[in-house]
Amino acid sequence: MHRNAAGALIVVLALVLSRLPGDAQAPLRIGASISLTGTYASLGQMMKRGYDVCLKDVNAKGGALGRKVELVSYDDRSDPGTGVKLYEKLITEDKVDGVIGPYSSAITEAVANVTEKYKKVMLTPLGATSSIFKKGRRYVIGVITPSEAYLEGLIDIAARRGAKTAAFIYEDTLFPKSSVRDPGAAVDIAKKKGLQVTFVEAYPKGTTDFAALITKLKAAGPDVFGAATYFDDAVALTRQMKELNFSPKAYGVTVGGDLPKFYELLKQNAEYVYGPSQWETGLPYPGEKEFVEAFRQQFKEDPSYHAASSYSGCQIYVDAVRRAGSIDADRVREVLLKLETRTTLGDFKVDQDGLQIAHKMVTFQWQDGKKIIVWPDELASGKPRYPTPAWTQR
Amino acid sequence: MTITPQMLGQVVISGILAGALYAMVALGLSLIFGVMRVINVAHGPLLMLGAFATYFLYHGLGLNPYLGLPLVMVVMFGVGALVQRTLVARVVDAPELQSLLLTFGIAIALVNLAQLAFTSDIRSVEYLTASWTVGGFAFSKSRVIAGVLAVAITAGAFLFLGRTRLGKAIRATSQSPDVALVCGIDVDRIRMITFGLACALAGAGGALIAVMVAIQPEMGQIWTFKSFLVIVLGGAGNYPGALLGGILLGLVEQLSSLLLTAQLSEAVSYVLLVLVLLVRPTGLLGGRAT
Repeated sequence: MHRNAAGALIVVLALVLSRLPGDAQAPLRIGASISLTGTYASLGQMMKRGYDVCLKDVNAKGGALGRKVELVSYDDRSDPGTGVKLYEKLITEDKVDGVIGPYSSAITEAVANVTEKYKKVMLTPLGATSSIFKKGRRYVIGVITPSEAYLEGLIDIAARRGAKTAAFIYEDTLFPKSSVRDPGAAVDIAKKKGLQVTFVEAYPKGTTDFAALITKLKAAGPDVFGAATYFDDAVALTRQMKELNFSPKAYGVTVGGDLPKFYELLKQNAEYVYGPSQWETGLPYPGEKEFVEAFRQQFKEDPSYHAASSYSGCQIYVDAVRRAGSIDADRVREVLLKLETRTTLGDFKVDQDGLQIAHKMVTFQWQDGKKIIVWPDELASGKPRYPTPAWTQR
Repeated sequence: MTITPQMLGQVVISGILAGALYAMVALGLSLIFGVMRVINVAHGPLLMLGAFATYFLYHGLGLNPYLGLPLVMVVMFGVGALVQRTLVARVVDAPELQSLLLTFGIAIALVNLAQLAFTSDIRSVEYLTASWTVGGFAFSKSRVIAGVLAVAITAGAFLFLGRTRLGKAIRATSQSPDVALVCGIDVDRIRMITFGLACALAGAGGALIAVMVAIQPEMGQIWTFKSFLVIVLGGAGNYPGALLGGILLGLVEQLSSLLLTAQLSEAVSYVLLVLVLLVRPTGLLGGRAT
């Protein structure tokens, strides 16, 4: 449903912080649609907050090209079609100077057609499906590790500890599907590690009742179970797994399990759940402490990787504009394709198609109410608790 | 994959439990359609209000969600009566498109007001998260209680409609507003009470669902669709039909998810809808008596 005028309003960031020369000049306006309502709202809000903290920092350091930078954003209601309309509007009606990516692969994939058409370079902090970058598009640039790698940690942890069988389910949209089904994704990884994949099935977006699916999973009885989810479904699925007593030796979700709210809602039922993350607090990257501090102070919660990636993505974009000395799409693109840097999020380098190739993911496990990084070994801060005990013993 | 009797049994249990809830929620929609010929698209968003009410009673006052249910129903009855008296009453006798537009507007307004007031944050009532195991079958506690209460509330509504003077007056108005008026029934008042009653049923649905799924402003819409499906299956305005349609929908969803795929289960429900409309347009038990 539509948000009303007050809800879907232009969120113009009046950044009072900047007391700088160049105020006489109009600010640089960067446009984006963000999922503030609908299925992806929890994650979209993290994205919005990441952008907010970034622009505050950017403007405290003098903005870019001698101008302040502000975000013009609208709510796409987690709907790719709406995202397309909003980017059209941002570029043609609002005449923004540049654009930056929306939340989710599905929406990025849809709006990338618009940004290509108008030749706007779009850095996409949370579009992580490889196919987005492999369609001959010129102007879309990735920030995080692509979808195929999301379940690798979970599978590797279980395989190294004797797991024999695996099962996967996924929301039937671009990113979750790709993280399970694409060449080199979960199913392939499991097979390569010698696991037998006994069950793979999709479920529609918006599913709230997983009873029949879990009944089938239980019959398949896998040692390791990976679910390519977003947030609401990850919560509903975990609850019903407990109700129907489906307890694989290792269970992980792709997206949503990393949000602090996941644990808040599920409490001890979130214990032992694995999840991949593009970033966690405490990793040894530059500016990490300052970012986490600023985020906590402003929003009274810890940033998730969605916030961190949006923060760093926005920093990288503004930095590229500064280096290019212009917001012209082709010149900014040149800079981004050559850029090799380490940000608060970690390493950044893309190939000639804009696909991210340097960033590294981690896998965490909820242990005693905390996300402990358990994979890969070189970044781990604890050991996985494997196998997961019965539901009654968590 | 071979389907064992064990799996089939488990899924039938889940289907019936889900179906009982569908039936109760859809009965509200059916009542409004029967008495006023209004398709209330705001039914789902009203259910959402019931879920939020339960959330706030639970987290604010520490009230057990099941004890809070009667309170939620009373409040939602009031909300419904108010909405009917101030808004819906104006379009009851107008062409059906008018009332459709109006309730559509109410639905949008409710969702957006909820987003403003409560934000889009996901909330939940963590209560009874485990299940009972009987003979190898798992019975989710929250879903069993929801199913039982839904059946009880639906039965109560049937008793009320069948036995009480007011209930009979509602049915009379449903059959023929003009004759009811001639017989001395205050049709306007009956309509207001019916709308209140329907909202109370939606609110009860919201309270029961609050314990099972994430609570957020947009959680209701899917229930408008499901309720609509149920009353078309059972026969619009046919009250026992809502019960049949609800259970049928619950079973069809779960069984097709088991025997086919989860992805196809939604499609199967709507194919069934088309089939029923083609073969028996008045619903399986026939439309409202005229």
